[in-house]
Amino acid sequence: MASASLPEQVLKHLFSFLTSDKDRNCVSLVCKLWYEVERRCRRSVFIGNCYAVTPDIMIRRFPQLTSLTLKGKPHFADFNLVPDGWGAYVDPWIAAMSQSYPFCLEEIRLKRMVVTDESLELISTSFHNFKVLILLSCEGFTTDGLAAIAANCRNLRELDLGESEVEDLSSDWLSHFPDGCTSLVSLNISCLGSEINFSDLERLITCSPNLKTLRLSQAVPLEKLPDLLCRAPQLVEFGTGAYSSEVQSDVFSNLEEAFSGCKKLEGLSGFWDVTPAYLPAVYPVCSRLTSLNLSYATIQNPDLNKLISRCHNLQRLWVLDYIEDTGLQALAASCKDLQELRVFPSDPFGPEPNVSLTEQGLVAVSDGCPKLQTVLYFCRQMTNAALVTIARNRPNMICFRLCILEPRSPDYLTLEPLDAGFGAIVEQCKELRRLSLSGLLTDRIFEYIGAHAKKLEMLSVAFVGDSDLGLHHVLSGCESLRKLEIRDCPFGDKALLANAAKLETMRSLWMSSCSVSFGACELLSQKMPRLNIEVIDENGPPDTQSESCPVEKLYIYRTVAGPRFDMPGFVRIMNQDAAH
Amino acid sequence: MMELQLGLALCGNSAKGYNLDDFNIGSLCGNFNLNNNIMKGSSSEILDVQDENNVQVLQTLPLLVWDKDDADGHNESQRKDGDENGMVGWPPVNALRKKLCHQSRHRLYAGAMNYVTVKNGGVGGGGRGSNCYKYVKVKMEGIGIARKIDLSNFQSYGTLTDTLISMFGKSRENGDVYKLTYQDKEGDWLLAGDVPWRAFVGSVQRLKLIRDEDY
Repeated sequence: MASASLPEQVLKHLFSFLTSDKDRNCVSLVCKLWYEVERRCRRSVFIGNCYAVTPDIMIRRFPQLTSLTLKGKPHFADFNLVPDGWGAYVDPWIAAMSQSYPFCLEEIRLKRMVVTDESLELISTSFHNFKVLILLSCEGFTTDGLAAIAANCRNLRELDLGESEVEDLSSDWLSHFPDGCTSLVSLNISCLGSEINFSDLERLITCSPNLKTLRLSQAVPLEKLPDLLCRAPQLVEFGTGAYSSEVQSDVFSNLEEAFSGCKKLEGLSGFWDVTPAYLPAVYPVCSRLTSLNLSYATIQNPDLNKLISRCHNLQRLWVLDYIEDTGLQALAASCKDLQELRVFPSDPFGPEPNVSLTEQGLVAVSDGCPKLQTVLYFCRQMTNAALVTIARNRPNMICFRLCILEPRSPDYLTLEPLDAGFGAIVEQCKELRRLSLSGLLTDRIFEYIGAHAKKLEMLSVAFVGDSDLGLHHVLSGCESLRKLEIRDCPFGDKALLANAAKLETMRSLWMSSCSVSFGACELLSQKMPRLNIEVIDENGPPDTQSESCPVEKLYIYRTVAGPRFDMPGFVRIMNQDAAH
Repeated sequence: MMELQLGLALCGNSAKGYNLDDFNIGSLCGNFNLNNNIMKGSSSEILDVQDENNVQVLQTLPLLVWDKDDADGHNESQRKDGDENGMVGWPPVNALRKKLCHQSRHRLYAGAMNYVTVKNGGVGGGGRGSNCYKYVKVKMEGIGIARKIDLSNFQSYGTLTDTLISMFGKSRENGDVYKLTYQDKEGDWLLAGDVPWRAFVGSVQRLKLIRDEDY
């Protein structure tokens, strides 16, 4: 009966052209032969929730991996909503892979995971050709672990510590890099707090001729920058350390000359603690910049404006709200290639506005920048009219995250909810993949979202909605929804139980300070055995809760791994003990 | 298999207020906040008291009473780990940004040369650093003696009003209903409750409780 099937070698060759995980997953579903061929030649795996699968399951299916990307804690962990000790330990993964992939694994990328020095040491000694270590928003390790990586990974190309929390035990971990040339292409140590040994840093940079990305920590003073930059004029991305110093003309001219020498520089970041007089030193590179991250830089106008208006080729700008509406208008006029804008709050906890940044700034950018597709905007006031205008201007919007600082703020002119405005966004922006809502919103917005946001993959919602109907609209209408995170909304049991099956089509659902009862969690876990229903409650042992008690925090995710057993006392996985 | 019908007309906000009995309130010796790292010397016991002749009078004051019903019905979360304004994780900024925000405010208070100008909301700063406080004078119609209260201990108009009423020895059950008014930075007297809480705290200079005639 077997029709002539393509020989395995041919299949393998064909599959080698498939780079996206989605395509590879589809291909593995065609037939058993294709599944077998594909799994043996898959080299790169992305696991969006480390608890959705176990290391063993992954290794059994994919015997030869070059690259693994793992994500751990839910997104709201960035804002302190996930208690310490919740989980996301990478150790079991490293342990298993060190046995199975010693000669093939070269790249590990982690986000929001707990990493130990033991794991880092194991990585550095187990994988013979280890090249890339990316640790974004991770924690649990010290500079000792980094020393092991530096010392043992002879082919290290990328070391990126992202915004991880690293315990600084010593400043000399950099000295553990071998003498002689390194193969470093990217080094990001911007999150480190303590002192750096400058001669080690200088030596490392000098011996890394392939270095393209260098992001320094705040400990590196401005005076050191000219010297470092001169050792690496080939840099494409550079993050300064502290950018403040007493104004001295020779330091300034050295710095300006050093920047002038970087002919390939396209991205700048850092700028901790800025002395404005030194900003003109970067003017020589401005016209080439495509990416500028000033989101920690306390620069105000007119200095800020003078800098940004020189960057005509900017595609990505991250900045504090010191830019104000006037700055955003100038941005709209001069940066026609802008694709991504993030405006962060300089004083998020202050009761009154400290800057003149309103909805007008965002409207101006949406009007002037035809390629704008990714927005993160913190502000204190918004109107439906502004949102409608933004939607009309930018139907190509892909990611729209608006954070109005005061919860439940209405349209400040009409005092109405912002349903119409956000509704226009989801209606006009048909490619919208990510959305964050804020301000005063009723169930109506969720009706719009359910009806129109067919490509929406991630939705973040806080202090909005009226009733379960809101949640029901989203769960029943958003076909592409993968991640839903909710806090302080009046959503309860009904919508959740009525849409139980939907949850298995998503990666995860987070709900905190809502009205989901303990009893509903039990019911849901009985109904859906392939979901882990985690009830997180720091106020008391979960066993003493009555059925109708609302749970403090709820994290639901699909998994083929079954319940986990590494959780702390304040996390309970529903139905864990029941036999199926 | 359980099927749940989702009716078309669901009732409105079904959020229940937090049942404060779940938390160990116990004896509320002036310690409002259910969390521990609170303003030092939490002087909710108001010691600075003056009579109409502006003579300092030290008095033993009654223990402050915590009113369980949150009068404005907001879904307020409890203070946790000293987060700003009592709302954990809001606004959604990461830990590094929060730290920098505190640092720049601290520099402002230290009087050091600072690039950042933050509009200061009044005594002790309008912000919410861990040692921020905001004392304002409170008067009640018909009562000679004024009080002082630390507004940073409160999170809503309802709890503030109820606390003040109790402080002056009145109670709602006895028919004592009062409206809270305040004097803002421009010197105008306004009815409290129209502006968001945090904006109110930033601009209030003094408080007065007046009898609510409509009751």
